[in-house]
Amino acid sequence: MAKLFFHPLGRKIEDGDKEYHANFKEMSGLEKILSKKREALEKGWGSNYQERVRAKNKLTAHERILGLADNLLSIVPINSFVNDGVVFGDDSQAKSCPNAGVITAFVRIHGRWTMVIANDNTVASGSWWPKTPEKIIRAQEIALKLRLAVIYLVDCSGLFLPEQALTFPGKRGAGHIFKMNSLLSDQGVPQIAGVCGDCIAGGGYMPIISDRVYMTEQAYMVIAGAALIRGAKSQHLSSHDIGGPHVHVHLSNCADERVPDDQTLVIKIREEIARLPSSAVPYYRGSELASAPKFATAEIAGILPVSAKKSYDLRQILARLIDDGLFWEYNQEQGQEVICGVAKVSGLYVGFLSNAQDLFAHPEKPGEQRAGGILYREGVKKLSRFCRALNDDGIPMVWLQDVAGFDVGTEAEKQGLLSYGSSLIYANSTHKTPMMTILLRKASGAGYYAMAGMPYDPVLQISTPCSRLAVMEGQTLAVGAFHTKLDDDFNIATKDPAERKLIERGMAQVVERIEGDMNPYKAASQMDTDEIVAVGELRRYLECFVESSYQTIGYRRIKNPRIWSLHDFS
Amino acid sequence: MFHRVLVANRGEIARRIIRTLTKLGIESVAIYSEADAEAIYLKEATHRVCIGPSLAKESYLCEEAILEAASQSDCEAIHPGFGFLSENAVFAARCARQKLSFIGPSPQLLSLMGDKAIARATMAALGVPTLLGSEGVISDLGSAKLLAEELGYPVLLKARSGGGGKGMRLVNHAGELEAALVEASREAQASFNDGELYLEKFIARARHIEFQVLGDHFGNVVCLGERECSVQRRNQKLIEEAPANRFSPETRTKMSQIICEALKKIGYYNAGTMEFLASADEKLYFMEMNTRIQVEHGVSELITGIDIVEWQVRIACNEVLPLKQEDIKFSGHAIECRINSEDPENEFIPSPGLISKLVLPKNSPSGPVRIDTHIVENFRVVPFYDSMLAKVITHQADRSEALKLMEQTLSTLKIEGVKTTLDFQSSIIKSDEFRSGIYDCSFIEKNLSSLLSKNRS
Repeated sequence: MAKLFFHPLGRKIEDGDKEYHANFKEMSGLEKILSKKREALEKGWGSNYQERVRAKNKLTAHERILGLADNLLSIVPINSFVNDGVVFGDDSQAKSCPNAGVITAFVRIHGRWTMVIANDNTVASGSWWPKTPEKIIRAQEIALKLRLAVIYLVDCSGLFLPEQALTFPGKRGAGHIFKMNSLLSDQGVPQIAGVCGDCIAGGGYMPIISDRVYMTEQAYMVIAGAALIRGAKSQHLSSHDIGGPHVHVHLSNCADERVPDDQTLVIKIREEIARLPSSAVPYYRGSELASAPKFATAEIAGILPVSAKKSYDLRQILARLIDDGLFWEYNQEQGQEVICGVAKVSGLYVGFLSNAQDLFAHPEKPGEQRAGGILYREGVKKLSRFCRALNDDGIPMVWLQDVAGFDVGTEAEKQGLLSYGSSLIYANSTHKTPMMTILLRKASGAGYYAMAGMPYDPVLQISTPCSRLAVMEGQTLAVGAFHTKLDDDFNIATKDPAERKLIERGMAQVVERIEGDMNPYKAASQMDTDEIVAVGELRRYLECFVESSYQTIGYRRIKNPRIWSLHDFS
Repeated sequence: MFHRVLVANRGEIARRIIRTLTKLGIESVAIYSEADAEAIYLKEATHRVCIGPSLAKESYLCEEAILEAASQSDCEAIHPGFGFLSENAVFAARCARQKLSFIGPSPQLLSLMGDKAIARATMAALGVPTLLGSEGVISDLGSAKLLAEELGYPVLLKARSGGGGKGMRLVNHAGELEAALVEASREAQASFNDGELYLEKFIARARHIEFQVLGDHFGNVVCLGERECSVQRRNQKLIEEAPANRFSPETRTKMSQIICEALKKIGYYNAGTMEFLASADEKLYFMEMNTRIQVEHGVSELITGIDIVEWQVRIACNEVLPLKQEDIKFSGHAIECRINSEDPENEFIPSPGLISKLVLPKNSPSGPVRIDTHIVENFRVVPFYDSMLAKVITHQADRSEALKLMEQTLSTLKIEGVKTTLDFQSSIIKSDEFRSGIYDCSFIEKNLSSLLSKNRS
């Protein structure tokens, strides 16, 4: 075997670095918006609704999760911004649904990462909105891929009926949640349900398939609530009378145990997790422990310019994400538009595949330069070979995207970039090793696909506050749409001032619309990306992904470095 | 056990490490810069590798070159000595990644102790009495007052960007605090263009007392007693002795216990030194931990009979430390004088040059006279590294005998061609205050001029 030589990446930021400070300021502006949005999410529909929950002697969904987690850093939320900016119903009664009415998060309990799915009882009593089922299904999918125990905290008054047509019938309609319950069970992934409030109709199936079902004294599970039961009114029957813990624990046996309140429920669920096999993470770390990056991750805010037109040194960013800033770079000389290599995150091996942004020398034409952030033949070959080796060796992959797309033009076509790209797409479509995708900034065109964007099923895809997801950047699309009116250099051809003005306005409108669509919150709202995180939090999400990938043994290939196929390339 | 170990250092400590490696039957690989190419001690190593030009940055501090040398010469482990890369966590991590055993604690422990504030907070939380103060700069008079009450007067105000006593004020009671704050801040502002101040507990007539520890990978930690290093000039130690003067066996036993318990809890392994300030009433306050072998380890070796470097190597090779605390026995008293090529008459500036004559008294690693040095006659002292030429250590049944032997040894030791601190050390050894054993960290500052004039006479 070849020996592994890790080299330090990155350098210190100098005190007087003006560009750094300017970038930092611009990124801080975006991150302020992010933290404001998060604060709003945490309140659900506001303090009135939080009070209503407390009046029932219940905890809010957030409080329940806090109780489950080992500490604050052990909560890594995903899909927080689903339905962001969307309102349902008529103008007079328009309603938003923060968090899509359900909180999904990786939560570490007794050192084991789990997936928690908790109905937000401060938003319409935890009912299911359009995209709520999809969000739940996505969390289940992730848990299934990584074999993480799933915890359901059920407090759900059923479908939000005015919008039922959007959530009931489709392939990813609410019913698919129960199919996922079944698949998780089939694959031996532990599922624990804590029913801590309403659990009506379809909601009832979600807990029942779980291995262990707890009910608080406030909880009930019913196929139909008292409102739909003939004669219930005259008999003064409540839904709780029909399906409370006294019925389901002792008579129907649909639940296992009853607990007095949410606080006790949280303790019981933590105990359940402690009974599961411990995490294999320390085993795979071996005698080497986890260590922090050499430079602070938060400094990325000053390195990554918000404007996609500006270049930067990607190695400076990598240095702030990996343990000790130590990197084993694969084939630095070839395909310099991409940077590939292995590092450790939290003491565990991870492969990084990323786009370099700087200009570099053309590999075949002396004296000519190529722009970074674009995929050329050499880079695509390098990515394909490297990611196939990572898959072969069971090393989790992290794709760091800042890509404008594939090279275009006669040279690109003659070289057959279409087939090289397809080969990479094939590789990413058939991988069995966990992949995570980070959209640092640009995620455009086929570059987004080839580098394991969301359609290629990464375990997790996260965006930064400045990421831009699109087939084409606005300007490019405007050029495409108006190409009959433009000359060879994409300048407006006509000399007629009136027509010129019309074309200019038309192009500006296209740019504006596309820029709006590229807003990361729009992508997150549509579930085209799993989360928007501040750049300083990237390391936390990485750690969560990597630790989760190594936590469970026996379901996927993990090779020790001696037998990595990666060595065959050196 | 290892077969071949690279010694990533130079001078007397490199030679000292090579000696133990040879004793253990381990091949040593010495590295050297172009400036050290002629050094005689290199011949004592099994192999020698030149790793770069004279500047430390390009040689003894060049991680790339050292790792490459270790790899090319098939070394299994690296002993970093002290200084240079010995406390560099990333270097230790790089060694670990390429399965080269770093003879020292883990990168995580190096980082933990490398951050003094975190190290103090950690030790305080583990029940080690710690020198406490404001966690950051003082924000206002009110919070300074509260903190000072909590720590107990006297307290010391220190400029954040301080040095040389500027912006420093001793506050004996609450009434003085406000005026001292204003003055110190003004002075600091004028001197360093930074008026921010720290506040910490002031310890009158403080002494420097440190504890040597050894720990293995299996949770065994023992304490090899303490050393007193209160003879310091601008925080540079000149003389060290073990055991400490005026130090009760009860305090030694109690502190050893506290230290070992704390270090077990953080999983500390390999050699290390816990440094404390001691007050006149024998209260100790933790300052920092050095996570490596120290210059003055020799005095502890002589009074305990334990080869600390040997245990560093054995521990790194996963051997279980067989010593229990009750097995550590102390015998006699040892004193060490550091002889530097510096000019005491001229602010102790380094004095490089050719050593034209050298007479070394009879010595042996096991004492009673031990001299750790790398110099020989016609050795050229180069200006690129620190100026230490030799460590002279004497070991006798009690302190007065050890002092007597030291006096004799220093008078027979001759180093000519460069200016040295030899005579200056002799005057300290002969001074009544030092001989009395009743001295503290202010000793040199207080007596500098009289020591220098004795030196001249």
